[in-house]
Amino acid sequence: MDNDQEGSKESSGRTDLVSEDGKNTKSVLCERCGSKVLCPAMAVFTEKELFLPSMRKKSSPGTTEGSVDGDTLTAHWLVDDMLTFENVGFTNDVGRIKYLICADCEIGPIGWHCLDDKKKFYVALDRVNHA
Amino acid sequence: MDPRYDIPRRATGGSSNSSPALGAQSRRRKMPPRPADFKLQIIIIGSRGVGKTSLMERFTDDTFCEACKSTVGVDFKIKTVELREKKIRLQIWDTAGQERFNSITSAYYRGAKGIVLVYDITKQETFEDLPKWMKMVDKYASEEAELLLVGNKLDCEADRIISRQQGERFASRISGMRFCESSAKDNFNVDEIFLKLVDDIVSKMPLEAPSREFSNSVLSLQPEPEVLPELPPPRMRCC
Repeated sequence: MDNDQEGSKESSGRTDLVSEDGKNTKSVLCERCGSKVLCPAMAVFTEKELFLPSMRKKSSPGTTEGSVDGDTLTAHWLVDDMLTFENVGFTNDVGRIKYLICADCEIGPIGWHCLDDKKKFYVALDRVNHA
Repeated sequence: MDPRYDIPRRATGGSSNSSPALGAQSRRRKMPPRPADFKLQIIIIGSRGVGKTSLMERFTDDTFCEACKSTVGVDFKIKTVELREKKIRLQIWDTAGQERFNSITSAYYRGAKGIVLVYDITKQETFEDLPKWMKMVDKYASEEAELLLVGNKLDCEADRIISRQQGERFASRISGMRFCESSAKDNFNVDEIFLKLVDDIVSKMPLEAPSREFSNSVLSLQPEPEVLPELPPPRMRCC
């Protein structure tokens, strides 16, 4: 996708994405299929270190026990009610975690939710597009 | 007009956006964000292997992706559709993996405004299981919940064992239950199924009954819930 306007993944572009009151200025979209995850101004920018398994499947799907390929991400959109999302999917529980995925193409994880905090749903800025 | 609210037409490679639900979404590009007008829970139930999960997926788009799903599985989805100029947030639960009748918790049923009961037209057992599923529905679900019976796997017509009439007949015995057949594999009827169900639910809800301009909505159904809207073609006429 040669869309240079779209969601800069660099933190340098982040000021564009966050409004003065800390909300998302742009729509949050699936980076693969464009499905809309959040409307503008529906989420709050927040920093929290969260580990998300890789979006790309390794050639050998078996995650050798204990070592899951992924990234620790800190920049997230935070939503306090799951019905704030336009479209999103939730995986089955992995321990106390449910990962968020695209509701349409099911790519993911794009975000993170812990069952111990029902009012926090995180979407990683690095795993979505903004437009 | 603030361009930030403009949803750009993305070069999606032409594969997606064929469903009415998604079409509605892109049509909204000029509107500022607004909260949903309705929030509904829909559950998909039925015996193992009837295609519940693919119905949930196919409602949404064409892609089957393994990345995350194959290892963990999808629990539920939030989907937004527009009908009659209302923005409707759906929470769709697919109960796959918990098919034993008693293992699906009553909580699934309790909040559901719509229940999609699925069987496989090529598998007798899945049809014979329907009364058991209905027992659960009767026991746990709200009486107001809209019911839809879906005979899935129309793409396997050659292996059909349950006739369309059998499905219609089953549905006709249950008050308010609708019936249709579908193929989640080639997406036949799937969008329509969900939209119809949602439309039924919404038309039952109070709140300034939409009185105008649904003639060009995805479904042109009647606003009054008591009037039977046109349905998947010939309805019942048995016993």
